[in-house]
Amino acid sequence: MQRESGYTEGKADFKAGKLIRIRAKFKGDKIEDIKITGDFYIYPEDSIELLEEKLKGIRIEDVEKIINEILKDAEYIGIDTESLSMAVREAWINRN
Amino acid sequence: MELRVIFDNKHKAFWNMALDESLLMHLKDIGPTLRLYGWNPAAISIGYFQSLEEEVNVEKAKEMGIDLVRRITGGGAVYHKWELTYSIVLPPPKGKVLNSYKLIERGLIESFKILGIEAKYSGINDIEVRGKKISGNAQTRKYGGLLQHGTILMDVDVEEMFSLLKVPNEKLKDKMIKSVKERVTSLRALGIDTDFQELQNIVAEGFKKALGARLYEEELSEEIIKKAKELEVNKYATREWLYRR
Repeated sequence: MQRESGYTEGKADFKAGKLIRIRAKFKGDKIEDIKITGDFYIYPEDSIELLEEKLKGIRIEDVEKIINEILKDAEYIGIDTESLSMAVREAWINRN
Repeated sequence: MELRVIFDNKHKAFWNMALDESLLMHLKDIGPTLRLYGWNPAAISIGYFQSLEEEVNVEKAKEMGIDLVRRITGGGAVYHKWELTYSIVLPPPKGKVLNSYKLIERGLIESFKILGIEAKYSGINDIEVRGKKISGNAQTRKYGGLLQHGTILMDVDVEEMFSLLKVPNEKLKDKMIKSVKERVTSLRALGIDTDFQELQNIVAEGFKKALGARLYEEELSEEIIKKAKELEVNKYATREWLYRR
């Protein structure tokens, strides 16, 4: 399969209290698409889907800001905003 | 507090998850409700945020006739075979979610006490006996209510479990199996001789004590069953839901 030009893919399995798995597609230093999965808990649950949506088009250096903003009222167990940011960053570092 | 108890049977995975959600949706009509059930055939449930393909050896599960289902609660993949599962729906207490885990898990700790076992909270939301995990629990809050479900391991076969669940690193699989064997226990391993029905009665009693509740039984309304059937077919049994993430 030919890779789409200009895009890279990156993944990270990041162990916080629970596991955060990131599967992402990047264009340069911007997130094109991202999937956050794992065995963590977050309330309300749909904040993860909202976060995935809001991270699209965001530069890697602004990820932490967006995560903090979207999850400011969420309650999470086994992860936190810092570990999520680190996991996304790791996926970017690991990109092909 | 009045707590309705449903002494349920062993069901297919889609139905189990559909009925739990239907109970949560009807909390306002039915009030606090505890359901005690099992799984037939054996099943793997994955957490709401997990990817089925990343967590489960789907081919192997199909070969073995094991049901696969996505929960509405977070957490990890669970192999449901030799266990009693509980679900409870309640109005959400004020305060942090983590605190309400502890409140509900007290019901399990009381149940273990009846069995002569001293159990305690472990990690985020597990229960352990003599340092080994015997119960895992997961909670969600939706439709103005709280649903928590969890398991009590009656027996465990770690090798069978890991033939079905994927591990992050295949090379370390043997080591991981060894380590999980050391960290997980079951009623059988603790020398407790009980059967499914007896355990249902004990857990109902445990929750009664922990919540200071009066227990009563009442048949499920047609409305609850109808909603569960709808969720079973239109949600839990769909590929869209199972492969959602």
